[in-house]
Amino acid sequence: MIINIKDKKIEELIFRIPEPPRFFEAMLVGRKYDEPSHIASRICGICSVAHTCASIKATEKAMGIEPSLQTINLRKLVYHHENVRSNVLHVYFLAIPDFFGVGSIIPLVETHPEVVNIALRTKKIANDMVRIIGGRAVHPIRIVVGGFTKLPTEEEMVEMRKMLEASYPNFEKTLEVLKALEIPDFERETEYISISDPIDYALYDGNIKSTDGWEIDDQNYMDKINEKIVRYSTAKHCWATRDAFMVGALARFNNNYERLTDNAKKYANELGLKAPCYNPFMNNIAQFVEIIHSVDDSIKLINEILEEGLDEDKAMAEIKPKGGRGVGVVEAPRGLLIHDYTYNDLGRVEKANLIIPTGMNYANIEKDMYALVQAIIDKSEVEIRLACEMLIRAYDPCISCSTHLLKCKLINK
Amino acid sequence: MTFTSKNNSNNSGCTGTGVKIIGFGNKYRSDDGIGIRVVEELERLDSFKNIEIIDGGTSGTNLIFLLKDCRKVIIIDAVDTGQNIGDVVNIKVNDIEEFIKRGYKSLSLHDLNLVDIFSLLKVLKINADISIIGVRPKNIDFGDRLSPEIEEKIPEIISIIKKETGI
Repeated sequence: MIINIKDKKIEELIFRIPEPPRFFEAMLVGRKYDEPSHIASRICGICSVAHTCASIKATEKAMGIEPSLQTINLRKLVYHHENVRSNVLHVYFLAIPDFFGVGSIIPLVETHPEVVNIALRTKKIANDMVRIIGGRAVHPIRIVVGGFTKLPTEEEMVEMRKMLEASYPNFEKTLEVLKALEIPDFERETEYISISDPIDYALYDGNIKSTDGWEIDDQNYMDKINEKIVRYSTAKHCWATRDAFMVGALARFNNNYERLTDNAKKYANELGLKAPCYNPFMNNIAQFVEIIHSVDDSIKLINEILEEGLDEDKAMAEIKPKGGRGVGVVEAPRGLLIHDYTYNDLGRVEKANLIIPTGMNYANIEKDMYALVQAIIDKSEVEIRLACEMLIRAYDPCISCSTHLLKCKLINK
Repeated sequence: MTFTSKNNSNNSGCTGTGVKIIGFGNKYRSDDGIGIRVVEELERLDSFKNIEIIDGGTSGTNLIFLLKDCRKVIIIDAVDTGQNIGDVVNIKVNDIEEFIKRGYKSLSLHDLNLVDIFSLLKVLKINADISIIGVRPKNIDFGDRLSPEIEEKIPEIISIIKKETGI
């Protein structure tokens, strides 16, 4: 991040992502239809379920494969817990230490041991959920095109429900900690984009929806979402109705508040989070509210799956490889994630386009930063730098995990 | 290409040997995949059939949950401790602070890095005999192959693992 300030006015502000371009798109070309999801899951250890599911959905759409309702429910279930563990990592391991003014979670072991224990317990439950359903805690291997190679047992489903039910007291304690945090009072209205569904608080599937009033089928994402190259970074800038938009927990919350469980709404209300919210720092709070929702909805999903009974015959759909194009859109923890594949008649990838949420937020982070720095320009250099770092971290960007290596350079202050 | 793992059903605790071997890294970022390539190789060896071998991917915080009831944990990772490219180091967890002073970097992990994880383990008083066998990579750009000079280190790494585990 480079901010060039002269006479208390910003002359130039550049947010540079140093990560090289993600060459996974090229790596997918030529692969057989059952390979991309496993390769895509390696793009990121935190978002491996999201990339797996986006990839599978793109392939299934391209080949007209229809997974069973059981498969979709199990995918939704595992999906919740990638979101939970990622949100836990961000809220407890990165954001709370920020608000307490310490560099990481490590000093909190002495000062706030309960917070650390809750973080670890909640992450462990989410990890176990992904491991039981996906076959591995990171880079799941049972979630494949057409369904699941192995189903969890009914006993495991009951065990998972018990773990989830036991986690509620942790959230009550976290609520008290979060209520005491002083969230910066900063607002900048922008366009918020996420997927949306008439029934679910959409994470796994839905239309693409904007707070600017449009909603489109996810296959037509290119009608609204545009990318451009900027000269100073290897990451592309994205825009839709305006010159920038935000994706992620706050965007989901703003578009889909009504679909949250009543319990999650209660927590949002207690924490002063109301839709629409234009304060990007509240993204952390939206992430916590989503944890509650995911636990509530997971218990509901487990009950539904158990009531229906796990059926091996529904574990895999029929697959007939063929040519065609398909788009898989999901909500990764950091926001909208798009995989767009074109297959040839042999069932091999001819073309792949991946749009990741950090890339989509990139232009919006710059615009927020500009407004924030201008608003606090009379503060000390140290305070401005800290505020900028906190703002970027509020977006929970996946920049090769460099969120704690952020360098903010102020010039001519 | 196969995606199976003999240990895919459970990696929450240790097997009877009390030893766990974990590879970290991204096998689609060239030499960053050394940890994963080594554990894939170990899974093919009969002599390791009673030891739990884990593909840890790029998520370091999971390590905290993998130490339960373990006598010994061996981590294989792409690391830079200032050694020459391709040089293999074997670091004991108790020496990690010395290596941090020398600029130790785990190049693989996408959440908390290994230094933070070890600091966290220390303050949480989670004790396990942990060794990190690290190789300094030559290239971590996107790619699904190791550099030849890194690939040729696999037998040396396996030999160190055998010595560490008494196999």
